[in-house]
Amino acid sequence: MADLFSLTLEDKLYRTRYEPDSDHPHITVQPALCRDCAGKPCVLLCPAHVYKRNPNDTAVVLVSHDNCLECGTCVQVCPTDSLDWRFPDGGMGVKYRY
Amino acid sequence: MSDEQVKVDVLVVGAGPAGISAALCLARRGLEVVVVERGESAGAKNMGGLLYGTVLNQLIPNFHEQAPVERAVTRRRIVFLGPERQLALDFGSEAWGRAPFNHTWTVHRPAFDRWFAGQAEAAGAGLVEGTVVERVLLEGEGAARRAVGVQLRGEEQFRADVVLLADGAHGLVSQAACRELGMAGPKPQHFALGVKETIGLPAGVIEDRFGLEPGQGAAIDFIGAPFENLIGGGFIYTQQETVSLGFAGRLESLQKAGLEPGDVLERFKQHPEVRRYLRGGELLEYSAHMIPEGGIDCLPQFAGNGALVLGDAAGLVNMSLYKEGTNHAMFSGTQAAEAVLEARERGDFSRAGLASYERRMAGSAALADLRKYRELPQILESTPELLGLYPDRVSRLLVDYFTVTEDSKADVQKRALREFFQGLSKLKLVRDLLRARKLL
Repeated sequence: MADLFSLTLEDKLYRTRYEPDSDHPHITVQPALCRDCAGKPCVLLCPAHVYKRNPNDTAVVLVSHDNCLECGTCVQVCPTDSLDWRFPDGGMGVKYRY
Repeated sequence: MSDEQVKVDVLVVGAGPAGISAALCLARRGLEVVVVERGESAGAKNMGGLLYGTVLNQLIPNFHEQAPVERAVTRRRIVFLGPERQLALDFGSEAWGRAPFNHTWTVHRPAFDRWFAGQAEAAGAGLVEGTVVERVLLEGEGAARRAVGVQLRGEEQFRADVVLLADGAHGLVSQAACRELGMAGPKPQHFALGVKETIGLPAGVIEDRFGLEPGQGAAIDFIGAPFENLIGGGFIYTQQETVSLGFAGRLESLQKAGLEPGDVLERFKQHPEVRRYLRGGELLEYSAHMIPEGGIDCLPQFAGNGALVLGDAAGLVNMSLYKEGTNHAMFSGTQAAEAVLEARERGDFSRAGLASYERRMAGSAALADLRKYRELPQILESTPELLGLYPDRVSRLLVDYFTVTEDSKADVQKRALREFFQGLSKLKLVRDLLRARKLL
C-alpha cells in the first residue's frame, strides 16, 4: 500500500466509493459558451480533476464525470454558464462512507 | 399523465439535518410528510466535521446515547503554522467530558444522517431515498405563483401543501425554485470549497497522539502558511478510529491565488506539525463539499408561496471559528415545521401564511450569530496579516524569548521585541487588532 504522504489524486479518488452512471453523463459542456472563457477556472478548482482542456482544441474543456464528487464548485465558478449539471440518477454517483 | 398524482401535507427535498428535523417535528404532530433524498441513503452525499447538538438535544433528549456519534470534543486547539515556527493555543475542560458534553461531537455524516432519518421514519415520516427531485412544480403567474409539489426524475409527480427546500449547498432545486418564486437573496451566495481526507488509525493511537481519554475527541483548527493567500484554514477532527484532515477555502480566493484545492490540502498534510498526527494512517476516503459562507448578506427570503428554504440551501452557516452549520440547519427545520403548522391552522400556505418562519428566523440566535460575523469575509480579505504576519510575529517573539544564548536575558528580550515590531506600522497594528476583535 502506498504511503499516506505520497498518494496522488488518482490514488485518493480510488478510495472513494462511486457507482458511476456511465451511460448518462450528468455534466455536459456547451462548447460554444465554454470557448468564451479564457481562464477555465473549472480546470483549476475541481477537487477531482473532472475537467481538462481538450488537447485537440484547448479553448474548450473535456469532462470525465465518473470521478465527480458532486460538490458543485464547477457550476459556481463557470463564468459563461456553459455547464449543464444535473444530479446523477437516484442512488448513483458518489457514495460517501465517512 | 397516466400516473395518479399523490398528494401529501408536506414534501421535503433532501434528507440532511434541516429536512429531517422538519420532517421529524411534522410527523410527530401527525402531518403526512415525505422526504425525498437523491443519495442511495440519507447522508451518502454529505461529509461533515463537527456537530453542535443543542437543537438535536431538544428534539431527541440525550441523543448521544443512541445516535452514532464518534467522539465528544473535549479538547480544542487553534494552531498557527508558520514556515519555520508554530504557535498553538490548546484548551479544553473536564466538564466537556461529562453530559451534555458541551454539545460538540464528531460524527460520520453518512451514518449519522441515516440514523437521524430513521428517527423521522419512526415518528411516521415517509422517506424516499435514491430518488432525484428534478424541480419544484409551480402553478399560477406573477405574485400568485406558488409551489404545489415536486417533479421526480422520470414521470412521477408529488403534490403537497408546502415544499421544504433542504437540498443543501449545491442546491440546484432550491436555487431554481427561489428564483422562480421571488425568494432569491439580495446578493449571490459565496461559497467555500471544503476538501477532506478520512484517515484510519487505531483508537488507542488517536487517544495517545491527541492526549485524549477513550471516547473523547479533539478538534484542531489551523491557519497560516499552507493557506497563504487564501481566505480559509485547515482542520483535524478525531473520530473513533479515523481522523479527518481537511481545509475549506473561499472559491474566489483559491481562484485569485491560482491554487488547486488538492495541492493546498497536500501542502497542509505535508507540514511537519500535521504529519506527526497522521503517520502510519491509511487513507479511507477523499471527499469534497461546498459550504455557503456569504453570511447574513446573502440569505434568501426564507418563505415563498408554498415553499420554505432551510439549512445550507438557505446559507445558514456561521463560518467564524465556530463553523456552525448542522445546528443552524436543524434549528431552521424546527422553525419551518412550526410555521407550517401555523399556516395549516389558518389554511393559508401563501408567503403571508408561512411568514412566521421568517419572523422566527429573524429573531433567532442563529441569525444573531450571522449578523455578528457580517464583516468577517471583508476583514479577512482586507487584512491578510491577521492570519499570516501577526501570528508569525507572535510565534517568533516566543521562540526568540526562549532561545538560549550567552547574552543577558534583558538583551535577549530587547532583541526579541525589536524583531517583533520590525517593519510594522504601530497605527496599522492597532487598527488591525481592533478589526480582529470582530472575528472572535
